[in-house]
Amino acid sequence: MATRSGLEKWYPEFFTKYKAFTVFDLLVDYIKEGRITLDKTMFTEKIAYHDPCNYGRKSEEKFGHGYYEEPRWILSQFVENWVDLYPAGANGYCCGGGGGTMLTPFKEVRSHYSRKKVEQIRRVEPDMIVVPCHSCHGQIKQALSEHKMAIPVKYLWEIVAEALVVE
Amino acid sequence: MTDIAPNTIKETAPLRPFGIAPAACMACGTCSAGCPITGMEGFDPRKIVRMILEGRDEELVASKLPWLCTLCGKCEHACPMGINIVNMVRAARGLVDRDAVPGQIHKGVELCLETGNNIGLPGEDFTFIIEDVGTEVSETEGFEDFVPPIDKEGASLLHTLHNKLVNTQNEDLVHWWKIFHAAREDFTMTSENWEGVNWGLFSGDDESMRIIVGRIVEHMENYKIKHLMYPE
Repeated sequence: MATRSGLEKWYPEFFTKYKAFTVFDLLVDYIKEGRITLDKTMFTEKIAYHDPCNYGRKSEEKFGHGYYEEPRWILSQFVENWVDLYPAGANGYCCGGGGGTMLTPFKEVRSHYSRKKVEQIRRVEPDMIVVPCHSCHGQIKQALSEHKMAIPVKYLWEIVAEALVVE
Repeated sequence: MTDIAPNTIKETAPLRPFGIAPAACMACGTCSAGCPITGMEGFDPRKIVRMILEGRDEELVASKLPWLCTLCGKCEHACPMGINIVNMVRAARGLVDRDAVPGQIHKGVELCLETGNNIGLPGEDFTFIIEDVGTEVSETEGFEDFVPPIDKEGASLLHTLHNKLVNTQNEDLVHWWKIFHAAREDFTMTSENWEGVNWGLFSGDDESMRIIVGRIVEHMENYKIKHLMYPE
């Protein structure tokens, strides 16, 4: 989001010369164009998807489009049993590690913040959490370990890579 | 600390698309109700907006409040008036003396400006890590001919990296590489200025943010790359 908003603000001519893609755009294109094939039997467990603020509310605000549908479409292509946390989408809770807070010494506040995400996860009882954001990945992992919950956290592109059918 | 004139934040922070000025705040507290850390160490979005409207910029800037916020936007998403709470918090961050920015945020920005990445990783170490992890991928069935492309001229896609993948999470470098390989994507990384994230967004530092974004534009031009993959 930083790069995209910076390009729009200071280098608007960039978009007349180049095309730019989010992680979702690329995955959707590769799947739709048949450039990658995913093994639908790879993930049978219950996978919960977490909406990062930057791809949701913040993208909606800055770019007029929140990436809510795309990740869910991607999951639907190869994961039968994926679920939403509640509330999700624009009303979802931040993981607690946004805004660079993982780089600050205020760990206690960050842990307190994350309790909301942990409560959401507890209600759904998933076998895995999938995120498309490096900060959310780190923070949710940390929060789950603080609450002694042994649920793996993976990147969206990580499970896509694991499900790749390669010749 | 540098003197900060009252009302600096409310007059300089960009408004939201609705164009509603912060003075429209009704002090209803909906923002605070939505924020997961209201009440923690004095944090409260409604009170932060009041401080700004009362011209208590210096007090806010000197406190740690702007740094406790995750800029998640749940407060302003709920705000019935459409006040620019997140932009005001970011503006407050930008008014903090750079040596008083807590933790690694500004240090990372400084390192990025100096070295091309937020962790100050020397070029030879970067190349070693990429090649080493690349070799591991090529030992995987189906990826035998994989070689991680660096500085490839005329590539179709620029792939920048989150510093933590090259730092403590080397095992997570491979996912996109595998996807690109399977999709026959003609991508490239760069040996210099490979940083994909831009902490100027978090530190409220537009000038550094602009320089770091500019490096991506330079990569596109220098290596004649066609498309950009947003790193985050």
